[in-house]
Amino acid sequence: MTAAIFYILSAAALLATLMAITRKNPVHAVIYLVHAFFALALIFFILGAPLVAAWEVIIYAGAIMVLFLFIIMMLELTPGEAARGPGWQRWAPVILLSGSIVVCTLLLMTAEPQAGPGGPNFYASPRDFGYGLFKEYALAVEIVSFQLLFAAVGAFYVGRGERTRRRARGDER
Amino acid sequence: MENLVQLAMQNVNFAAIMPSLVLCCFGMAILLINVFMPRGKTTSASLISIIALLVTAVVSLQGWNNPQFGFAGHVALDNFATFFNMTFLLAAGLTILMSDDYLRREGYPIGEYYPLILFSTAGAMWMASGTDLMTIFLGLEVLSISLYILAGMFRHQLQSNEAGLKYFLLGAFSTGFLLYGIALLYGVAGTTNVADIGLYLSAHPAMIGNPMTVAGMLLMSIGFLFKIAAAPFHMWTPDVYQGAPTPVTAFMSAGPKAAAFAALMRIFILGLAGLQSEWTSLLWGLAILTMIIGNVTAIYQTNLKRMLAYSSIAHAGYALVGLVAANAVGVSGILFYMLAYTFMNLGAFAVLVLAGKKGEENLTLEGFSGFGFKRPFLGVAMTIFLLSLMGIPPTAGFAGKFYIFAGAIKSGYIWLAIIGVLNSAVSLYYYLRVIVYMYFKDPQEDYSWVSMHTGAVVSIVIAIVGVLYLGIIPGKIMEMAKLAIF
Repeated sequence: MTAAIFYILSAAALLATLMAITRKNPVHAVIYLVHAFFALALIFFILGAPLVAAWEVIIYAGAIMVLFLFIIMMLELTPGEAARGPGWQRWAPVILLSGSIVVCTLLLMTAEPQAGPGGPNFYASPRDFGYGLFKEYALAVEIVSFQLLFAAVGAFYVGRGERTRRRARGDER
Repeated sequence: MENLVQLAMQNVNFAAIMPSLVLCCFGMAILLINVFMPRGKTTSASLISIIALLVTAVVSLQGWNNPQFGFAGHVALDNFATFFNMTFLLAAGLTILMSDDYLRREGYPIGEYYPLILFSTAGAMWMASGTDLMTIFLGLEVLSISLYILAGMFRHQLQSNEAGLKYFLLGAFSTGFLLYGIALLYGVAGTTNVADIGLYLSAHPAMIGNPMTVAGMLLMSIGFLFKIAAAPFHMWTPDVYQGAPTPVTAFMSAGPKAAAFAALMRIFILGLAGLQSEWTSLLWGLAILTMIIGNVTAIYQTNLKRMLAYSSIAHAGYALVGLVAANAVGVSGILFYMLAYTFMNLGAFAVLVLAGKKGEENLTLEGFSGFGFKRPFLGVAMTIFLLSLMGIPPTAGFAGKFYIFAGAIKSGYIWLAIIGVLNSAVSLYYYLRVIVYMYFKDPQEDYSWVSMHTGAVVSIVIAIVGVLYLGIIPGKIMEMAKLAIF
């Protein structure tokens, strides 16, 4: 049964991503992307990585998508013209996707995914995950943290305001 | 419960990452120092960067014949990494030497420039010394992200903006391919360690023909071939090279290319040795395509930066020939060629840095009319570098091409070597054309704006010495390159 759920979720994730990149309305695209992240989170859960699943929901579907929505609202990107066609055509994919994700979630909550064929042969508890992260992949963590530092330096440079720039020129003269 | 600090320190061997660590510490120190310096004064930052590179060179040489491993087998400072580290440091050093005056001339004396060069050099080092796909990938990201910023550094120039954005978008796209390939290989072998992947594939020969393995190999090569600027993943090169600040272009043509070759060699030769017939036939075709596209398109260019971009594509093709050969001569030939290419290409770009006016509209063939007579030293230097890029003895370019094509012939790829030599003959046309303009055309200007800035002149002299040394006495460095390969 786990295998069946996996295929349903993969199809849902693919469909949601496809819808996300073809929508003209950015808010709709974000909603579809949230569906894709939920489907991915459940796939991570099936694979035996509950912590990553939780982060997928909290960080990607939660924090980052909210950020996207804020930016869309700030830039007022919503297209003026309303979508054509009967209402059910627009609602069908969303309902289908959320329905299948909710059903899969309920199935996974009732059944034990670790048991039975198709289940993961390794279950990464948060503690295992932490050991792996800071023991085996310690260098990778360091490099990533370092990368964030100078990505911030670059973002600061590229996004620096014009006024600072003009004052800098004044100093040179 | 175990002590977490103890746990974290179990696998640590700082000697294995010492070179990149030193660079990063210096880079962060310069960032801090910049805060307290008056704006527009960057000479001290460039001097500290040079010191940083020298210290790193000393530290890195500790790894020669004294391999250091650490961090759960994720990183190794072996001869291979040390040789490439030296190439990166050289590229960064020559770049920084030629930058200071250039940045002031163009009106962007920015303190962040030097730390970013140091950071990207550290990323290149992680790529060369990474023995785990994770470290190699992160090294590539460190390298690329600094370069995206550097390419778009002239914020008020449209061309520079275009270069930065184009490089960023296409680079991110190609990184996606690389990551997908890594994921597939991890799915096959159950490990990201390069040597373990090799062991797994030799223990399970049935997996070698598995479509997932082959797809992983192909997707991963796309990621690296993009950085190498091999055809058909070269479309970004001319625009980015032309739009980016000239010293950054110089660094981009040598550092990342060598780093991507280092990672490609380590992964293909150590990890995917079982798929050698697959990747050989792939690279065989791409090498020929890259050489032909690079050389033939370069003929039509009138802007020198753009011409050197296409020439850098062609040189990537020559170096790929060595990887196709996959024997000791060919592979160590790549190491040698990358070092030689660093000298000759950075030298040529240093001349362009000095010859350019503010805004660089004159870096065309016409702009160089009579340049050799008006500026004899720069003319002679440019001639030496162009001869080396052509592959004329006694310059480094000849020795490098000689080793690589010798390796190809030794492995039985005679046609590949012949096509390579024919391509070199084609390249004579566009390199010689620059020399013709420099010496056989009447000067239209007196080139009075060319100021012989000390740093750039020093980098030109270093490059000339390197080109001639590697061309006349290549044996010693070649012996070291042979010791450096696996």
